[in-house]
Amino acid sequence: MLVTSEATSPRTTPEDTVDGAFAPMIQIDMEIADFLSAWPHCDYLSTYMARMVSHNRSDSVLHSTLFSSALNELLELSFRMRRLSGSLVCRVSRRDTVERVELTFPCAQEDRQLCEEAVAHSKAKEAQDRYLNSLSEDLVPSSAMMLRELAINYDAVLRIKADDGDTITLIADLPLEGLAN
Amino acid sequence: MTAFRLSPAFAAQYDDNNQEFSISGSFRPQSIDELAQSIGLLKDSLSKARGVFHLNVKRLVQMNNTAFHGFARVIVDTCRARPDLKFVVVTSSVVGWATRKFSRLSQIEPTITVEEYDSAFYPGQSFLEEGGFIPILRTQTKLTWRHERLLLPGHGMRPGVTMADICCGIGDFAVLVQKEFQPSRIVALDHSKSSLAYARRMCSEFDIHGIEYTYGDAAAMLLPDEQFDLVTCRHSLQIFDRPELILKELYRICKPGGRVYITNEKNSHCLGEPRAESIQWTYTEVAKLFEHFDMDVELGPKSRRYLAEAGFDDIRVESFMVTNLDGDPQDFADVIAAWEAVYAGEMAVQRGDSPEFIERFRQGFQDHIFAALHPKGYAGWPIWIASGRKPS
Repeated sequence: MLVTSEATSPRTTPEDTVDGAFAPMIQIDMEIADFLSAWPHCDYLSTYMARMVSHNRSDSVLHSTLFSSALNELLELSFRMRRLSGSLVCRVSRRDTVERVELTFPCAQEDRQLCEEAVAHSKAKEAQDRYLNSLSEDLVPSSAMMLRELAINYDAVLRIKADDGDTITLIADLPLEGLAN
Repeated sequence: MTAFRLSPAFAAQYDDNNQEFSISGSFRPQSIDELAQSIGLLKDSLSKARGVFHLNVKRLVQMNNTAFHGFARVIVDTCRARPDLKFVVVTSSVVGWATRKFSRLSQIEPTITVEEYDSAFYPGQSFLEEGGFIPILRTQTKLTWRHERLLLPGHGMRPGVTMADICCGIGDFAVLVQKEFQPSRIVALDHSKSSLAYARRMCSEFDIHGIEYTYGDAAAMLLPDEQFDLVTCRHSLQIFDRPELILKELYRICKPGGRVYITNEKNSHCLGEPRAESIQWTYTEVAKLFEHFDMDVELGPKSRRYLAEAGFDDIRVESFMVTNLDGDPQDFADVIAAWEAVYAGEMAVQRGDSPEFIERFRQGFQDHIFAALHPKGYAGWPIWIASGRKPS
C-alpha cells in the first residue's frame, strides 16, 4: 500500500488542474487483491483517511466521524465489486468547505452501468423516494441505495469519471464542514 | 495491513424498565447475518413492549448501511404490524450523521419520531456557560495560570506531548498551554457550542493555529482509546453529577504511562480578612447551593480518592491559593462579583431562597470583594490540582 500525503506530493499536477482549485491532500494506492483480503480494510482506510483529512477542520472529531462514515460506504461499495486484479486508488482533495473523494477501482461492465444509473438519479427528485422505498422494502441495501444515501444524508454530489478498460472512478464531493456545524 | 485502531466495541442491550433498546459503539458488518444476535434481541424486546418503545443511539459512533438497513427493516416492519406501538429514536448531535439518517425512518412511518439529545447533557451547568459568564472565565484562567504554569511540569506537561483538554470551556487554557509548552497536538473538547464558537473566534482573531476544538460529551467522547500523553480536565468534575463517568473516559483516552490532570475547588474554604465570618458563611452556603443542583464544589480534596478509584497510580495532589495579591486585586474582585451574580442572582433564586437569605448570601461576596480591595486585606480562593498515571 502506498500512502501519499500533501506534504510529500506536488501541490498540483496537470491532472489536478482539471478541477481547478481542489488541492490534493492524501492518496492511497493499493492492490485490489490486498484490499479484498479482509473486510475491515474498509473501516481501517476510512478511519485513517478521515483523521488525516479532518485535523484542521473547525471540529476535527465531528468532521472525521462524518467523513469516515461517507468514505466507508464508498469503500464498501468497491469491495463488493469483487474484481481480483487491478488497483484501488483513493484520493482526497479539498476546496473550501468541500472534500472531494476520487475512488478508482476495477469494475465489471454491468456493475458500472448500475453505478452510473444510481449516480444519474442521485440528484433527481425521486432519489429520496427511491431511497425510502429501498429502506422499507429491500432485504439488503443495494449499491444504488448506498450511493443515493450519500446524496440524501451527506449532501454528496456524485459523478462518475470515464475510465478506459474495466475500471471506474467514483467522484463524491462532500460538503461536510457545513453539515458538521 | 495492520489495524489502524480497533473501533469502539459494538453493544446492544435492552432496558425492560424503560422499554429502551440501546445500541452503541461502531458496527460495520459485511453481511446482515452478522446482525443476527442484535436483531434477535431487538425483536424479542419489541415483542414485550407496549406503548412507547425507545431506541437509544446516542452512543452509536459508526454504523454502515448494511447494519442500518437491518435494524431499520425490523422497526419499519414492526410499525406496520403493531400500529399501537410508538417509536422514539434518541440521537446525539455529537455524532453528526445519526439524526439525519434515523429521521428518514419517520418519513416512512409517522409513528417513529426522532429526538436529538443535546442541551440536556448536564442540567445545572447552563448557569455557568451562558455568554455573560465568559469574560469572567477568562479572568479566572488568568488568575490560576500563574500558578498552574509552574505546577504543570510536575504533572506530565512537557514540550511535544499530545494533549487533550476535556471540558475546555472557552479554550483559553489550551491557548496558554500551547504558547508556554508547545505540545505536538492539542484537542480541546467541550459540549457548549457557544463556548467553542468563542474559542474559535479568539484563535482566528489572534491568528492561533493548531488547537483542534471539538464538540462532544465528556462522558462519552468520540475520541479513540489511548491517544494522549496528557489529559487535562479543569474545574469540571465538580460540576458534573457523576464525575466518575468523566474520569472513566479521561482514563480511556489517556495512553498507558500518560497522566490525567484535574483541578477542582473546595468552595467552603474560600477566605478573607477582614470580615472573615461573613465570607466563610457565604461560601459554606455556596457548597450547599451547588449540592442542591447535584454538583460538588467541595470535590478538590476528594481528587485523590476519585483518581485511585478510577484505576490511576502514582497519584500526585497539591493545592494553591489564588489571592488578591496575584496581580491586580480588581481581577480577583471581578471574579467574586461574577460569582455573586450567578450564585445569588440566578441559582439561589431558582432554588427558591427567601429574599432575606439572598441578602445575607450576597453580603458574603461583597465582604470578600471588600477584603480583596482593602489595602491591608487578604482574600483567597483555594484550588486542588491532582494527577494520576494510567498504568502501563
